[in-house]
This record gives sequence, structure tokens and C-alpha cells, in this order.
Amino acid sequence: MTAADLPTPPSRPGDSIAIGQIGVAQGGGVLRTFVGSCVGLVLHARSQQATGLAHVMLPSSNGRGSPPGKYADMAVTETLRLLREAVGETPLACTAKLVGGATMFAFQSGIPIGEQNVLALEKILLDLGIPITGRLCGGRHGRRLIVDVVTGVVTVETAGHGTETLA
Amino acid sequence: MTPDKGRLAAIFHRGADDASHALAKWLGRPAALSVQRLDALPIAEAAAVMGSSDALICGCAMRIDGAIGGLLLLAADDDAGLSLADTLLERPTCTSTSWGDLERSAVIETANIVGCAYLNAICAALGPAGAAGILPSPPVFLRDFPEAVMGAVLMEQTVLSDIVLLARTEFRIDGTPVACGLVFLPDAAGVAALMPSAVDPGAGT
Repeated sequence: MTAADLPTPPSRPGDSIAIGQIGVAQGGGVLRTFVGSCVGLVLHARSQQATGLAHVMLPSSNGRGSPPGKYADMAVTETLRLLREAVGETPLACTAKLVGGATMFAFQSGIPIGEQNVLALEKILLDLGIPITGRLCGGRHGRRLIVDVVTGVVTVETAGHGTETLA
Repeated sequence: MTPDKGRLAAIFHRGADDASHALAKWLGRPAALSVQRLDALPIAEAAAVMGSSDALICGCAMRIDGAIGGLLLLAADDDAGLSLADTLLERPTCTSTSWGDLERSAVIETANIVGCAYLNAICAALGPAGAAGILPSPPVFLRDFPEAVMGAVLMEQTVLSDIVLLARTEFRIDGTPVACGLVFLPDAAGVAALMPSAVDPGAGT
């Protein structure tokens, strides 16, 4: 099964995006998710006041399919597809923000998977010419991410360490 | 319930029984663990097994190697975790209000003792397949959002599958339920040891 075969994910403003899933909304509300080693990928189309949020778990699908937000390589293209579907025929110019990629457990060895997720997303976004306008990545703690659909402003609360804003 | 799942349930119940004895001895009061959930779950459902609130949870994670590999997580809501620390430190309930070194140490030791008793019993119940025993990492204390913790815990299993095997155990202390749980997620080798009939012998590496 490919991402295109999967049912369209939830797209109501205010949706909480589950692990490995993607949400897209336009014109109002917020999208939210929690990330630890996973990465929250925010794609914002300013002109159309539309935003997509993917909860990415792993850097590469290696040919595996679902769920659509699980793998970095599939999450970017699928979020773009859903944004295009939401805004119609108007040209889409997106910016990206990345949140998460923490190393939650000290016993993880090698390049931590959270860091691999961030690196994979950065490369894909670079290849697609999508600028990354904000990031809050790494560290050892989970984060709650809330993105304003209209403005693309991301509010990030790091567990036990306060709140920051990515404008 | 299929015969394989019935066998698996019996194995995890034996683990919970031994962990109950270890916890009661450690606390110096009646305590019991019971298997609340033993399921193969989609990732999103597994991620919500510790709750999905904005409140932080506390706990310890341990990587397990050996006969049954995987990740073991002891997690509690903040009040239950601090109450557990009070019990172990022989303080009146509600004395601990924040996570200092003593409180963290109390929870880490609990995870070590209860977790190892749990998994050692499971290994013993596996017979020859469990003869190698377990090699636990030192427990890592955490205080974080429940879904962020579960996402990190689930990662290794989800490299291979969108469905994860998860065992969740509940605690009772002095006969009263405690908002505390022990979650074990076996890795691929752990699943193979626990459910040999579920593994396709012809599958590639």
C-alpha cells in the first residue's frame, strides 16, 4: 500500500495528531502533537493560511508504506500532497519548522534516532527547496507542539523546561 | 484466546506474580501486580497506553538484552510516583512534593527490583528459550509527557512493524490501585522468544 492509497487523515482545526499521522487544516484553529525522539514537521503555506503537521518517527521507509507520517521520506511528500489538496489550484509556497528529535534515553547508542530523523528531514526539505524557518531539536526531553494554522507560529513546551515560540 | 496467546498470558502472569513478591518485600507491605493488557496494537493505540494528557508522568526506562530483548518502562503519574517515594523513604504520604535525588533514586531502585523480577520470571517460564536470562541496562529516570515517552519507547519495535506487542501491568499497594504501570515492549528477538509460532521461519533477515 502506498501513502496515496491511505484514507485522508483528520484535517479539522484543533486536531491532535497521533504518532505517525499527518493533519492538515486551513483558515483557523491549531494542530498539536507530542514528540520525544520523533519529530514534528510543520509545513506552512502563508498565502493560503494553511498548515500541515506530520508526526515523524523514523528517517526512512525503505519501501514500507503506512502510516503516512511515520517515515521522513514519505511524510514530507504526503503532507505537501494534502496541503495541495486543501488549497486547490493555487500555487503552494511552503516554509518548514522542525520540533523534536530528542535523545530520551541515555542508553541509546550510535547516532540517536531522533537526530537521524532531523537530518533526514533537513535533507529532504533542502532537496525540495523548502526553507526551514524555525527549529527546536535535540536535548533529552519531550515537547508539546501547537501550531497556529493561519500564522504558522509554533508554540513549544519542553517537559519541565518552559515554553518557546517559533514565529 | 488462541493457544499461543493463552501461553503468553500465562507467562506474563507468572512474571507479575514474581514481581508482586519482589515489590511487597521491597515496600514492606502488601503489594500486587496484575497483567492489565497483553495485546498486539497499532502504533497510535500503543502510544496512548500511558494516557494522553498534558500532565507529565515520571518513571524509569530500561533497555533489556538477553533471552527477551526490548524496553521496560515503569511509569506513574507525578502524585503516585512521589507517594511511592514517600513509602520507600518511610515518610508520611505527601511529604515529597518535587523530584530530588532521593525521590529519583527510590523510583529507580523500584524499577530495577520489580522489572528484573518480572522479566526473570518470564525467562524462567520460557524454558530453554529463556535460559540466557536478561541483561538489563541501568534504569534511566524520566519525567516527561506520556505520549513523548511512549513514542521513544516504541521506536525500535516500529522499525519492523506497524503493530507492536505490548504488555501493561497495574499496581495495587495495600489493596488500593496505584496510578503506576509497568510496560514491556519486546524487540524482534524478544517477540520471537515469546511467540515462536508467530515468527515465519522462512522470513528474511
